[in-house]
Amino acid sequence: MKLGLVVDLDTCVGCHGCATACKQWNTSGTIGPLSDENPYGKDPNGAWLNRIRTYEVDDTPNSKTVNMPMSCMHCDNAACVTVCPTGASYKREEDGIVLVDQDKCMGCNLCSWACPYGARELDPQEGTMKKCTLCVDRIYDEKLPEDERKPACVMTCPTKSRVFGDFDDPNSEVSQLVRDRAGKQLMPELGYEPVNTYLPPRNKPVVEMYETTSLKDTVKGWVNKVIAR
Amino acid sequence: MTSQANVIPVQSGLPEFEDRDNQETKYTTCYMCACRCGIKVTVEDNKVRFIQGNPNHPINKGVLCAKGNSGIMKQYSPAKLSSPLLRKPGTERGAGEFEEISWDQALDMLEKRLSHIRATDPKKLAYFTGRDQMQALTGMWASQFGTINWAAHGGFCSVNMAAGGLYTMGHAFWEFGDPDWDNTKYFMMWGVAEDHSSNPIKLGLKKLKERGAKFVAVNPVRTGYQAIADEWVAIRPGTDAVLALSMVHVLLKNKLVDEEFLIRYTNSPQLVVNTPGQKGDGLFYRGESGEIQVWDLVKEEYVDANLPDINPALFGEFTMPDGTPVRTAMTIMIDKYMDEQYAPENAAKECGVSAEDIERMALEMAHVAFKETITIDVEWTDWAGRKQDKFIGRPVSMHAMRGISAHSNGFQTCRAIHLLQVLLGTIDCPGGHLAKPPFPKHVPPGIKPAKEMAPNTPLKSPPLGFPTCPEDLAIDADGNPLRIDKAYSWDAPVSCHGLMHMVISNAVKGDPYEIDTLMLFMANMAWNSSMNTAQTMDMLCEKKEDGEYKIPFIVCSDAFNSEMVAYSDLVLPDTTYLERYDTISMLDRPISEPHAACDSVRIPVVQPDRNVMSWQEVMVEMAGRLGFPAFSKPEGGRKYEGYKDFIVNFEKEPGIGFLAGYRGKDGDKSLRGEPNPRQWEAYEENEGFFEMHLEPNQRYMRHANKDYLELAKEAAWVGSTNQIVIELYSEKIQTFRLAGQGLYDGPMPTEEHHKERLVKYFDPLPTYYMPLEEQRIDREEYPFHAVNQRPMFMYHSWDSQNAWLRQIMSQNYLFMNRVAAEKMGIDDLSWVWVESHNGKIRVQIKHMEGTNEQTVWTWNAIAKRGGAWGLSDDANEATDAFLMNHLISELLPQKGDNEDRVTNSDPITGQAAWYDLRVKITPAAPGETGAWPSFSALKSQPNAKPSPDMLSYTSHENVNLNRPMSDILTRGEK
Amino acid sequence: MHPAFSVLVFTVMSGAGYGLITLMILGHLFGLPQLQDSTVLLTGGGLAFALISGGLLSSTLHLANPKNAWRSFSRFKTSWLSREAVFAVLFYPFLLGYLANIWANGTEVTGIAQLAGFGAAALAMVTLFCTSMIYASLKTIRQWNSSLTPVNYIALGLMSGSLLLAAVQSAVTGDLSSTLHTIAMGLVVLGAVVKVIYLFWIGKPAGSTINTATGFTQASVRLLDQGHTSNGFLNNEFGYTVEANKLVRLRVLMVAIAFVLPFLLLLTSSAGLLVLAAILTIIGLLVERWLFFAEARHVVRLFHGDQRV
Ligand SMILES: Nc1nc2c(c(=O)[nH]1)N[C@H]1C(S)=C(S)[C@@H](COP(=O)(O)OP(=O)(O)OC[C@H]3O[C@@H](n4cnc5c(=O)[nH]c(N)nc54)[C@H](O)[C@@H]3O)O[C@H]1N2
Ligand SMILES: Nc1nc2c(c(=O)[nH]1)N[C@H]1C(S)=C(S)[C@@H](COP(=O)(O)OP(=O)(O)OC[C@H]3O[C@@H](n4cnc5c(=O)[nH]c(N)nc54)[C@H](O)[C@@H]3O)O[C@H]1N2
Ligand code: SF4
Ligand code: SF4
Ligand code: SF4
Ligand code: SF4
Ligand code: SF4
Ligand SMILES: [Mo]
Repeated sequence: MKLGLVVDLDTCVGCHGCATACKQWNTSGTIGPLSDENPYGKDPNGAWLNRIRTYEVDDTPNSKTVNMPMSCMHCDNAACVTVCPTGASYKREEDGIVLVDQDKCMGCNLCSWACPYGARELDPQEGTMKKCTLCVDRIYDEKLPEDERKPACVMTCPTKSRVFGDFDDPNSEVSQLVRDRAGKQLMPELGYEPVNTYLPPRNKPVVEMYETTSLKDTVKGWVNKVIAR
Repeated sequence: MTSQANVIPVQSGLPEFEDRDNQETKYTTCYMCACRCGIKVTVEDNKVRFIQGNPNHPINKGVLCAKGNSGIMKQYSPAKLSSPLLRKPGTERGAGEFEEISWDQALDMLEKRLSHIRATDPKKLAYFTGRDQMQALTGMWASQFGTINWAAHGGFCSVNMAAGGLYTMGHAFWEFGDPDWDNTKYFMMWGVAEDHSSNPIKLGLKKLKERGAKFVAVNPVRTGYQAIADEWVAIRPGTDAVLALSMVHVLLKNKLVDEEFLIRYTNSPQLVVNTPGQKGDGLFYRGESGEIQVWDLVKEEYVDANLPDINPALFGEFTMPDGTPVRTAMTIMIDKYMDEQYAPENAAKECGVSAEDIERMALEMAHVAFKETITIDVEWTDWAGRKQDKFIGRPVSMHAMRGISAHSNGFQTCRAIHLLQVLLGTIDCPGGHLAKPPFPKHVPPGIKPAKEMAPNTPLKSPPLGFPTCPEDLAIDADGNPLRIDKAYSWDAPVSCHGLMHMVISNAVKGDPYEIDTLMLFMANMAWNSSMNTAQTMDMLCEKKEDGEYKIPFIVCSDAFNSEMVAYSDLVLPDTTYLERYDTISMLDRPISEPHAACDSVRIPVVQPDRNVMSWQEVMVEMAGRLGFPAFSKPEGGRKYEGYKDFIVNFEKEPGIGFLAGYRGKDGDKSLRGEPNPRQWEAYEENEGFFEMHLEPNQRYMRHANKDYLELAKEAAWVGSTNQIVIELYSEKIQTFRLAGQGLYDGPMPTEEHHKERLVKYFDPLPTYYMPLEEQRIDREEYPFHAVNQRPMFMYHSWDSQNAWLRQIMSQNYLFMNRVAAEKMGIDDLSWVWVESHNGKIRVQIKHMEGTNEQTVWTWNAIAKRGGAWGLSDDANEATDAFLMNHLISELLPQKGDNEDRVTNSDPITGQAAWYDLRVKITPAAPGETGAWPSFSALKSQPNAKPSPDMLSYTSHENVNLNRPMSDILTRGEK
Repeated sequence: MHPAFSVLVFTVMSGAGYGLITLMILGHLFGLPQLQDSTVLLTGGGLAFALISGGLLSSTLHLANPKNAWRSFSRFKTSWLSREAVFAVLFYPFLLGYLANIWANGTEVTGIAQLAGFGAAALAMVTLFCTSMIYASLKTIRQWNSSLTPVNYIALGLMSGSLLLAAVQSAVTGDLSSTLHTIAMGLVVLGAVVKVIYLFWIGKPAGSTINTATGFTQASVRLLDQGHTSNGFLNNEFGYTVEANKLVRLRVLMVAIAFVLPFLLLLTSSAGLLVLAAILTIIGLLVERWLFFAEARHVVRLFHGDQRV
């Protein structure tokens, strides 16, 4: 199995819902807490596993705004794992999820240096590395109702711009979406083979214009029709 | 929408992550904003583990926004108030020096004050509520108290949208209607950043995009929703009516209107008296029967307009038997809108949208409406009892909000957008703009604003209502305003939601009179809901010669240490939304969906750890103490034990109460039924909400749908089953214009500027006029429009106390189009001065592409006062963030004329004109950085726990997933 | 990259220590006359020990959770940091054996001396190489991801080591060794050449851009909002930005202090100035290492608005 997310850039409105859902689930989740420094003071700064960035593509007047949520891509070639000296970082063989064992991390930051996607953040209080767990503590939890066995961010997304699934299964929804919508990896040239895939904005739908004949200039051009009220 | 049924086969070997034995799950309603999503909350040891969307809930269907997901940090906020506070004797208002008192003391003090006011001059109590959703209760409380000085936030929020819709078609954009997300093929969104329907809009947009429908966004700024629009129309602020009416022009020129719809469902065939300069001009011609007349093409005679089976002429000028010249309303519209003024070439110059785009969009919509018509094959019965075999849908829909309403021409602009929809026949039809129960109502709803008051006597009608003619105004015999906010006066005759933004300024001036007590609930008027914030703070502290404050006593109900708290004399600490009982009632603004009547409740999920009481309880307690008739037994004594008891047992009329679900003794009745003593339990068992789906034949064309109207009457949503006729031509508005012209048999203004305003702005047909501020300033000197947007992850001033949300944004920037900024030599991230006719501020600039070149904008309400909200004195919100409010004046720009004293609001509805603001921008001197003005930090409440420097929230000890040592030592690269 | 002071100190000091010990042992074992002196060897060895150990201790200062530092030996299989740790520790018995042997038995080149000496020298270089590979292996940082990085680390380690060695030798004996002096001059030239090549190489535009990062390769891309207003971990770690002017000035300063001045001092052939030259080089290399970090541009910056790295 190769689990990961598809993110639809055509519909993401940049609401940050997935980011805070992630924060609240995971602060009491297996990776937690996710601490926050200066929570009520100057320059508040905490550990987040999912961040939303916004870009403007192209120049005025042709530009487009694109919201881009980013969390761990659960890369196939996860250099963050190979560089980790303690073995705290690892990629699960059974499903490809990349995790950090909080009991083993020494907070050297090297994995974050190895990650091209900014997916790892050091917890300011714990001193250990935090990253997306793909909500491993939800997706396998038998005690959750079946339709809640998915990542918190996926469950909450109000535009359903995040889809979770198995990229190894060609019939899964994620695989289909990647095929149908020409899903893209970010920075493929680095060779990390990120699993998470982005669906680019769609082409605009084309709407025909009403074909018009003669133009009316005044009320005289109108003729009453008999229409029963 | 595709399903997400990718459930991963469960593997063993993972630890039990959750302490399930210790956890409990409860359902309630989110109140991180007014969208009111259903939530499922997991709690352990009175600590919140997780808040998730309730998948069964009609509003959010399982999803939550950024705020909803951050509820834990609201519950954890260090700014929570913890006990009633009394301003320390001898200290000044605004200094924030309080002593804690008991609830008994607080309530006794309030009771004494209020009972005196009530027994002497009830209008001396002004009671205003901000972001609350319990206006049915607070409004009723005010009526029972006997003061007309009550209003909620609608006046500074979006009364233009409410009134624009309710005076046109009986429902409205603002919470009273939704686009038909499932069927629409062409959706145009006007001036919306986030809106109350936060999650439903997002869910809806996804549906549209999945179906390949076209989404056009009209907005000077391109973020959020506009970012995913297929087409972005970068309009110049304040000119949407020009765009809408120009599209109307294109449709009319090409004869692309739904004539059947106009004849059957609107007043456009009705005959309007055409006697300019004479009394009665512009009113409908009423025959001997007193009924409005139309010309029947088949019978060839004048008939009552509201009869079924007649064949009215849509066009034509006629002379009535009594010699009165008349013409159909449609004829007037064609004359008006076919004028060259509305031709796309001319409109383009005003609104900045190209003529080709205007024409193309109009013709695209016409194509979708008339060539891509959809039908739903359900038999239904029309208002006259005639069977119809299907619903015809013209799948063009629209939504509009504060980009339209927050301008002083917003009422007319909103009507212009409705006009466009109506001409295309897209009202409450499949694919069009749908009403949500209890809407539609008759045009306008039949409630008149109260004007008479007497000591110890309830008002005869609610304080707020819908005037239909000058007689309904709340003015005295001399034409002076009766209300403290001057609502329903000649300044703003149709101000159906009051003018809360004028209260402080008027009360301090004693214009029209002085008050004794100002009671605020959930309104941060010392900060972000005031225009002119800095001066408002001064006004709150202004004293009379005798040393008494001009507003002698200020009571505020707040849950947090907001900026308003410091300016109050008595502070009553509220519970949080996770700690209280509450109702989201059909009598108010329920959570209905277009095809289901719904309401919901809040049920506590955690126990308060402070000395707090919900405002709901305070209201019922005070009503009991003051002996309001509706809260007292006939033989005397209190009728209700408390809020829960009140909700269950209060009946507005037999069988109608605050909650429409699970009524009747056994809880098996919906909408109407005798009280159910187990109603709260029933809601609790049903996940906190009630949803009654309408029958398929009741789902569309409800303004003329007999089965629906009968249900609506039974549910007390409407007063009669008569057809709700859509009023494109508003005779009600015309009566005010006649008063301005001196041609009215009834109250008429005496002051010149009032007359002028009535004549100029009270056009019975949707029209465009330049926003008032723009009319009164030098447009060259102030070249930029300045507007705000709601950030999706912040609710007004509430969320800077939220440790997670403030990390997303603790400073706002002034966004400027990159090309425009570069032309002026204004660098990205540089500090600039922004100046309006009313003041100046210093802010930091950010360049962007997606902004109209004549517009600057910022995110709303990010700035905070240091010390408030549990923030440190040097929090970014206090040092670098800014409020646009300082630049906005509550009065029109001063010109030395009579309008100087007039509110900066829509002249029709009194809607605060936040977005009329025009500014100039100049670079700040080198070294001039940081936001200006800045204010001294406020004090924290007595005994407040200090805000922590580090926060590591968990609800239980985290269960780590261990990697076995053997794996660490043996695994290779993969 | 944010230059963490502890890491600068670590790489410069341990690099110099490893360079010193390697050159000294090799000189001793290959019979360089001036190094057949126990005092010189013990002094040099002691200094190297101090530099290396001080450096390693300093490196643990940047660990946020040092209680798990011992675990860093576990992932020898893939992690250069783990390998560095393993080799750094392995190095000690060899070094201590070598020094103990000198202390006990004098400078005679015995089998023990050879085993311990060559072992220590090899492990010193391997450790230094591992350190450099921690940086060189990161595909995320173009300025590091090159064979120039290990060449730089080793050349500069040897260079600073050679100056220290010459300084120790002359300070202890009061007599300047021309061989050590020449080696030092040669290594300073080599170090300078290597560094200048490196500086030219990182100046060439290459690598990922904001377009490949975001996937929008057909048009300009600008950051509008990074999703949080205050700086977060990623900004602090990777967003370190120095003004271009300042960088140029620092480069000049670095070349002057690390290479040119020591070279000029070496030209004077004065024993006293050798110590100064060695100290200058160490200071210069601290600047060099600071620049190595400050000029390294992590690809995460692209997501925060940089157009290219
Ligand atoms: N997250 C969040 N949600 C909220 C709130 C909140 O504070 N935060 N507040 C709630 C409240 S009280 C309200 S009233 C609603 C308001 O919700 P919205 O109606 O979405 O109000 P604004 O955020 O004011 O957005 C106004 C939009 O209109 C655009 N605009 C400004 N002037 C013009 C114009 O002249 N023409 C056009 N076409 N567009 C224009 C602005 O760029 C902006 O995008 O949101 C509610 N929902
Ligand atoms: N410049 C500018 N200003 C604007 C606008 C704009 O677009 N631009 N928009 C305007 C609009 S549309 C609106 S609606 C207003 C909103 O303005 P306000 O009505 O003032 O709303 P808030 O700022 O949310 O303040 C509400 C107060 O309620 C308190 N509160 C929160 N939760 C609770 C609770 O559970 N119980 C009690 N008792 N109190 C609680 C908060 O602490 C806060 O003090 O702002 C207006 N101001
Ligand atoms: S929740 Fe969905 S729409 Fe919102 S930012 Fe995340 S992906 Fe985008
Ligand atoms: S995104 Fe970064 S942290 Fe996640 S697997 Fe890839 S390299 Fe590792
Ligand atoms: S910070 Fe922790 S997880 Fe990352 S490389 Fe270092 S030890 Fe491994
Ligand atoms: S999958 Fe879970 S951990 Fe990862 S971003 Fe989503 S919510 Fe966060
Ligand atoms: S939109 Fe968000 S904040 Fe508002 S009620 Fe829904 S979940 Fe709560
Ligand atoms: Mo509002």
